[in-house]
Amino acid sequence: MKGLKYYFCLSVLFLLAHATATAQLDSTVTLGEVVVTGHSKVSAINRSAYNVVAVDAGTLRNTTMDIGQALDRISGVKIRETGGVGSNTQVFLNGFSGRHVKLFIDGLPAEGFGAAFRMGNIPVAMADRIEVYKGVVPVELGADALGGAINIVTRRTANTHADVSYSFGSFNTHKANLSLGHTTASGFVFQLNAFRNYSDNSYRVKTKLLDLSTNAYSTDDYWFKRFHDTYHNETLIAKLGVVNKPWASRLMAGVTLSRESAEIQHANLMKIVYGGRTRSAGSIIPSVKYDKYDLFVEHLHFSLTANYNRSRNHNTDSLARQYNWQGEYRGKTTKGEGQYALSEFNNHHYFATANLRYQAGERHHFALNNVYHYFTRKATDAAANAETSTAASFMRRANAKNVLGASYKFEATRRWHTSVFAKYYAVHVTGPVNTSKTSTAVYEEQQRAFGTPGYGVATTYYLTGALQLKASFEKSCRLPSERELFGDEVLETGNAALKPESSRNVNLNVTYNETLHHAHTVYLDAGFIYRDTRDYIRRQIEQRYGGAFYTNHGQVRNVGFDAEARYVYRNRIAIGGNLTWQDMRNREQYAPTGQKLVYYNDRMPNNPYLFGHIDASYTLFDLTGKGSTLSIAYNFRYVHRFFLTWQSEGSTIVIPRQRSHDLSVTWALEDGRYNIAFEVKNMTDELLYDNYSLQKPGRSFAVKLRYVFFRGK
Amino acid sequence: MNTKQLLLCGLISGMALAVASCDKDNNNTPPAGKGSFVLSVTGESAEYLMQVDDPGSGEVSIGNNNQQLEQSGYTWIFNSNPSVAVGLIYQQGDPGIGLGYRLSPDATLEAIGAGFQIPSRFTSYGFFGDYAITSVGGQTPAGTTATDGVTFNFIDLKKLSLETKPVVRTQNIAGNGEQATFSGIVDMGNGEFLTGMVLSQPRDPNATGGASSGIVTYPDSVWVAAYDASLNLKRIYRDGRISYSSGRFRSQYYAQIGKADDGNVYVFSGSFESTTKHPCGALRIPNGGTAFDDYYFDIEALTEELHFRKVWHITGNYFLLEFYNDKEPSALGAATKYGVVNMSAKSFKWVTGIPAYDQITGTGLPMAYGGQLYFPITAADPAIYVIDPASASATKGMTVTGATNINAVGRLTNG
Repeated sequence: MKGLKYYFCLSVLFLLAHATATAQLDSTVTLGEVVVTGHSKVSAINRSAYNVVAVDAGTLRNTTMDIGQALDRISGVKIRETGGVGSNTQVFLNGFSGRHVKLFIDGLPAEGFGAAFRMGNIPVAMADRIEVYKGVVPVELGADALGGAINIVTRRTANTHADVSYSFGSFNTHKANLSLGHTTASGFVFQLNAFRNYSDNSYRVKTKLLDLSTNAYSTDDYWFKRFHDTYHNETLIAKLGVVNKPWASRLMAGVTLSRESAEIQHANLMKIVYGGRTRSAGSIIPSVKYDKYDLFVEHLHFSLTANYNRSRNHNTDSLARQYNWQGEYRGKTTKGEGQYALSEFNNHHYFATANLRYQAGERHHFALNNVYHYFTRKATDAAANAETSTAASFMRRANAKNVLGASYKFEATRRWHTSVFAKYYAVHVTGPVNTSKTSTAVYEEQQRAFGTPGYGVATTYYLTGALQLKASFEKSCRLPSERELFGDEVLETGNAALKPESSRNVNLNVTYNETLHHAHTVYLDAGFIYRDTRDYIRRQIEQRYGGAFYTNHGQVRNVGFDAEARYVYRNRIAIGGNLTWQDMRNREQYAPTGQKLVYYNDRMPNNPYLFGHIDASYTLFDLTGKGSTLSIAYNFRYVHRFFLTWQSEGSTIVIPRQRSHDLSVTWALEDGRYNIAFEVKNMTDELLYDNYSLQKPGRSFAVKLRYVFFRGK
Repeated sequence: MNTKQLLLCGLISGMALAVASCDKDNNNTPPAGKGSFVLSVTGESAEYLMQVDDPGSGEVSIGNNNQQLEQSGYTWIFNSNPSVAVGLIYQQGDPGIGLGYRLSPDATLEAIGAGFQIPSRFTSYGFFGDYAITSVGGQTPAGTTATDGVTFNFIDLKKLSLETKPVVRTQNIAGNGEQATFSGIVDMGNGEFLTGMVLSQPRDPNATGGASSGIVTYPDSVWVAAYDASLNLKRIYRDGRISYSSGRFRSQYYAQIGKADDGNVYVFSGSFESTTKHPCGALRIPNGGTAFDDYYFDIEALTEELHFRKVWHITGNYFLLEFYNDKEPSALGAATKYGVVNMSAKSFKWVTGIPAYDQITGTGLPMAYGGQLYFPITAADPAIYVIDPASASATKGMTVTGATNINAVGRLTNG
């Protein structure tokens, strides 16, 4: 009961605190018109019938955050990091993660962008806004997203601008950012984005020490400084094009070049430490985008986007050494700290998206969208090794996927509009299959095809100008991958009879948003979600069959609430918070082999289910001259403890409760042209873990300098 | 303002409801068990250790476990003197964390130390004196391109420390140009241990299947090496009556050598290689002997042409054999058929009273105790079957509900 009271108080606090991130969106803080243009789009998206949250990244540009950290502030979203700068970042959206949540950049699936260009290493400054679609995904984002989609929209403006920033901070962390854009009077457009992150990630961790002479671990935990965790990444995005031509409303060609390089400090248990393992990755992504408004007839819009992603991932483990946390090592008799590897994966992705939109009169909107995705991979391992590779490892694997979507939106009245949509997912895979009946494997390239429909509806109604109701539903799915259909040829057998994983997603939202007396802006949002997910594709091993195989099994139900509240007073005070609670439980009663499951109705393990966020800021105007602002912002993050595995099995391992406090002070001069920001993260130096055993950084400091040049038309 | 208040009330009550129901699942976990028998069980994915009084009867829930382990997939072995359980693991690509347990004076399961790191993978393991030993072949010694290295780890059972021995080179070990992968560790009790040798050409770097051995040029002979504690090769037992002594599964080499109660060592061969002319059989090294004697047992003649891959000693001259389900054995083949051999009487019986072979989804490390073999078998809820060697009939013992497999059963004493 004590705990219950605590959370009740917490939730009331959240509500009374009605405050920050979203309200800022609708406020009129001016840091150049770039931000202002963002606002209308963000609120238009938030007002759509979908359960969508759009965050204006403009307000976060003076921070050192990456996209992942910005997402972490959104209700229903939890970002889990495995360490410091450049570490693996996993997004949980209403309990869905991994292959169930699709990430898009400017409407293009980010699947093929590679490790070098991902949520955890793209600075938030690169984005104009971030859209999070919970459970129901519009046809424009064509992908088999079971649990939702995240779309990062990069900055795009017809104005001339330059935005340069540099930050440095604890653990020898440096981040640099450059954004340039110019459009000539004749309609020639030039855009350039570049960024670099570097960190030693030399923060201290608490763990056990390996005695190299006995190979035994210490009983006690000690503090150690990370010594092999240097990370850096560099990205350049250049776009050239034309706008407002008779034959093209907009035509842009561009290329994204990115690379990263990281030392690997430890295994998935922190006490297993490395001193020589590294990984690196690189991507080349040329792209072209064509838009034509009023094609043939008025209100018929056509767009075509195509890109090719080539990514390379390289892992090296060739030192014949064994390390401990003091950085000491001793020689090993064989190569490799873990398993000797010099492996390289080359992935090739091809995407093409065509979109046709038509508006008939004031009330009828039609859209047709098709996404084609072709993926092929080839692996090479210079240290081909007994455990990991087979002849089939080096054979071609290809996966072609097509998602066709059609939607119709009807605006019955100004207050009420409804969208219905349908999608058809198709996949065609090619890969090696073991056709041998004996112990000697014989591989043959085979092809398989697969298709399934999906559909949904979203509607919204305004009770008053300030009070909005939303309801949406989608039957979504995830198609089996080529590995699930084919197996890995040696230890796994594929299953051509697999069904797609499917989910029925329902969302209900009530939003109240009003500004009173031109001074007090109040934003309240309450959401209810229901997810009924079935036919999970699972890997199964049974002695009677020898190797592993894939099967559809499992049913999970998630009933959740989230609430957000914000209050803004005249751009000076902003306070807000959100709280997410989701009751995600296993609803499968029997194991594939027939016996009763003890964890029937258990909460899904290793999945944060109660978390919240509070932020508050106070801004002083004209303190150091006209056009200057000084703001202080505070941020609090809470994650309730959760179990690593099923509770009814008697699991005792938990990921403990997490509380972290961040504080920043930003001083802006000349209407935001010159900015300097001081940040302290994890102020109270808490031991933070998003994942079992993997400690995140303690208290850190950073200074960020930023210069913005802006000339509007 | 009314609408706003209404909304606020709604929100607060919604939250309160949510919060009220969310602590409901912090129910009391069932009490952990007591007893000198230790089980390792797997749940949906995690591994747990349990203590039970009598594995020969009753039912227990996985929720009564004593401890959840950080990693899962351990190979457990139980030693009697000193009485310890050792958990070995090597995760693909990462070193594993080995564990040791003993029974405290008040009969609770007690970890010895905080674990030890296992820096190399292993395909064979066993006890030798005060050590548990792991070995893996096909290794490339630092500074070479050869693949004939065998890495031994010696785990001190008293201190739970691990020492990696210098690589043993096996090129031309038996004088025929072949290199060796070792299979099984059998303590001779005289400062030496025996290990079966799979002699082969170097592994083809492009070969499939994950094995450390290559093409077997001489599939019609058996070799067994005797090493001392310093890994000096003392002698090689060799014979042409059976094929090599090792059961194969994926990259593993299962031991097929066992010591009977009278000190005689039986060297079995499951005739894994399709090229061998020999049927599955066994030879004998008499207690303390330096060569095979003239004992020969054609086991395959009694087993419907099925080949076996694992061998466990039960009591006296009785051994349990695990057979591949198909007549042609393969490194990925299913193996869920069981029979008992009496090595002195040269008799064989299929085990009765256990689930049908096509219902068995998993088995675990058995325990020989009180003249019987306690064998974990999973077919629906996992259970321990108690096999009487003379009749080869089994009765169902303890069932562990909620588990997906019983990985091992063993006994610890605190005397």
